Amino acid sequence: MATISFRSLMLFSAVLRLFLIIYGEWQDIHMEVRYTDVDYFVFSDAASLVALGKSPYKRSTYRYSPLIAFLLIPNALIHRTWGKILFSVSDLLVGYFIRTILKLRGVPENLCTYSVMLWLLNPFTFTIGTRGNCEPIVCAMVLWIIICLMNGNLLHAAFWYGLVVHLRIYPIIYAFPIILTLDQSRFQSGKKPILTDWSSSKIQSTNGSGSIKVSDPCHIWVSLKSLFTRGRLLFGLISAAVFFFCTGFFFYLYAWEFLHEALLYHLTRTDPRHNFSIYFYHIYLHYEHEFALSEKLISFLPQVTVQLVLIWRFAQDLPFCFFLQTLAFVAFNKVITAQYFVWFFCLLPLVLPWTNMKLKWEGWACILFWIGAQSHWLMWGYLLEFNGKNVFMQLWMASLLFLAANTYVMVTFILRHTSSPVFKRLEHGHSNIPTKID
Amino acid sequence: MGIQQFKLQVSLRLGIALYFFASISCCKHASTINEVGSCTSNLDDSNPSSSALHGVNEFITEAYFEKHASLIDSDFQGFLSKEIPLEFCEVLQDKLEPVPKLSISHRHLIGEGSHRRLSSSIRLEIQPGSKFTLPAHFCDAIVVEILPSGVFADPFELQHLLQRGVFTGAAVFGDTNLELPSVRSNRSIVEIHMDIGPNVLSGNNNGLEINIEVPLHARYAPLGEHEFSRVEFSPPDLFTRCSFEGKSHKQSCIFLSTNKSLELKAGAVVWDVPCGIKEHTGIVSVVTFFSAIVSALLIVFTAFHYSDTTGCNNLKQM
Repeated sequence: MATISFRSLMLFSAVLRLFLIIYGEWQDIHMEVRYTDVDYFVFSDAASLVALGKSPYKRSTYRYSPLIAFLLIPNALIHRTWGKILFSVSDLLVGYFIRTILKLRGVPENLCTYSVMLWLLNPFTFTIGTRGNCEPIVCAMVLWIIICLMNGNLLHAAFWYGLVVHLRIYPIIYAFPIILTLDQSRFQSGKKPILTDWSSSKIQSTNGSGSIKVSDPCHIWVSLKSLFTRGRLLFGLISAAVFFFCTGFFFYLYAWEFLHEALLYHLTRTDPRHNFSIYFYHIYLHYEHEFALSEKLISFLPQVTVQLVLIWRFAQDLPFCFFLQTLAFVAFNKVITAQYFVWFFCLLPLVLPWTNMKLKWEGWACILFWIGAQSHWLMWGYLLEFNGKNVFMQLWMASLLFLAANTYVMVTFILRHTSSPVFKRLEHGHSNIPTKID
Repeated sequence: MGIQQFKLQVSLRLGIALYFFASISCCKHASTINEVGSCTSNLDDSNPSSSALHGVNEFITEAYFEKHASLIDSDFQGFLSKEIPLEFCEVLQDKLEPVPKLSISHRHLIGEGSHRRLSSSIRLEIQPGSKFTLPAHFCDAIVVEILPSGVFADPFELQHLLQRGVFTGAAVFGDTNLELPSVRSNRSIVEIHMDIGPNVLSGNNNGLEINIEVPLHARYAPLGEHEFSRVEFSPPDLFTRCSFEGKSHKQSCIFLSTNKSLELKAGAVVWDVPCGIKEHTGIVSVVTFFSAIVSALLIVFTAFHYSDTTGCNNLKQM
């Protein structure tokens, strides 16, 4: 297969996105079904309100940080496609960052290009930005945080992490793996960490799963103390400060409306309307009365358990840990909409160079099972929403199948993954506790 | 690569700082402009609880919700009959009143599923002997739909239709929350204004027919024993409002034109909305939690198994 240069790929991707933005404008004007995502109109309306000095939360269903509305003010002042252009540029930036991360770890050029193509030429991802969804901005920020950590820029990583958690709450799940990665034996502030090269990790996987074990129970206290290193404390303090500053600033501007719509709503959200989550029908059937505490806990336990185990096992292999965590977070969430898939799509290219999974036939099995389960759900969803058939039971069973597909993908990736902690152990480690780190 | 990344970092930071500075400046500048004109805006007036989307029309229903917190049928009918200045028109005081009448000739739901259009064919009739010289005037047909519980209109969708010129005015009053199911939401009223042309009271416009299609959406219905929950639409209240050029000022006259007994004869419009079945509650809850637990255990087991086998492989290599 002829190799494609990264520059050509970026150029083609940019032209494709520009074409789709222009086409989207044409379709919105000339056809009844609009190309533009309904969320984009929500952002634009909120931005118009901000431009007029009003609260963006006067726009119903605007449940984002005011930052998004601020970013889209030019929609009201210059042209309504400004936001789409911004999101598409972020989309391209994600492609650039994917390549940067892979190159930092010595991944060969052709493998880098194929990995980047998985993002840039994925029909799902290039329609997301051009239809006016803001997720590419979040994805770009997450990847930028990884780059900052890989370059030893702890302060930058902390700043952007605080900002991205303010923007979209879900990246809070990355807090623990980041903290665990900042192990003093591998990462020291002010020093550029040594990255595990792709070629060395493929030959020998002496670092194992990257899980953390304490070999001597008698030194648990010393181990706990070692958790509070300068780097970890700095990261925690700065990211928390940025998060609380942003939250405090917008609370000052917009008061409880902001707090409720942008933060609390997402923490307590239970949507009875049909979505990919296995919980939707259960929520609908119980919507007329409050959930018992035991019911809330039971639905929370699988999510928390999986997250903690994945962090504990894979924290040192940061991109892989992020990927699995995000996929699990989405799969076990009480509400799943299609835009959430972008959260782990942007991380998938980062783990592919380390997988032993062959496209034939394990790779195809994952792809077909996942797409098939999703299409199956969409079919029943269409019959319910657009044909008015009572297929709640069938739709719920389709969501169970989709969970099975997500589980299958996760299990396959874990079994076929070559563990590769991002950071190598430093030659003169500062750690003096008998903590065995694999 | 290191220098390129550094340059990218600096450019990004500079760009972001300049952008926000410019945005804040624009924001302040825009709010000043609004005092004398208006910025380009997608919304004329974004008060979502009343969601009035219009040029400069007044809405009959707006006055009701200024005094009442929620929709009660008897209160609303009382409001329509007593508080709207009907059929009093200074311009026409000393002449035979034309009293245009609007009536529904046909009414049905178009489409399937949760998103449909309520189509109403409205016929204009003017009383005989009313064709005499009147000042220039423009008339609107006003349709006030009291939506049943379980159905709502999207104000932003109506705005889109307004921008395309389908209506001359559109507003939703009452509960405009788009997301809540029926059990957690209240009813709402949609008021639509349609232009029926200039000088209709003077010309030969008897028998004029206009078609109105209002896009509606079904909420999630209350749970039931059967598969569907029935939603019934009552006939709308119809008004004609004409604006006359008076000697010194413009005057609007409103005429009520509904004969509800005729609409009842035509048969109520019904919408069968799929609903959840109570019988499913037990099995759905059990299987949902069981599936979540099994999936979680599979992932946890695989993660542990991966770690153990990797350790074994390392030993083999040594």
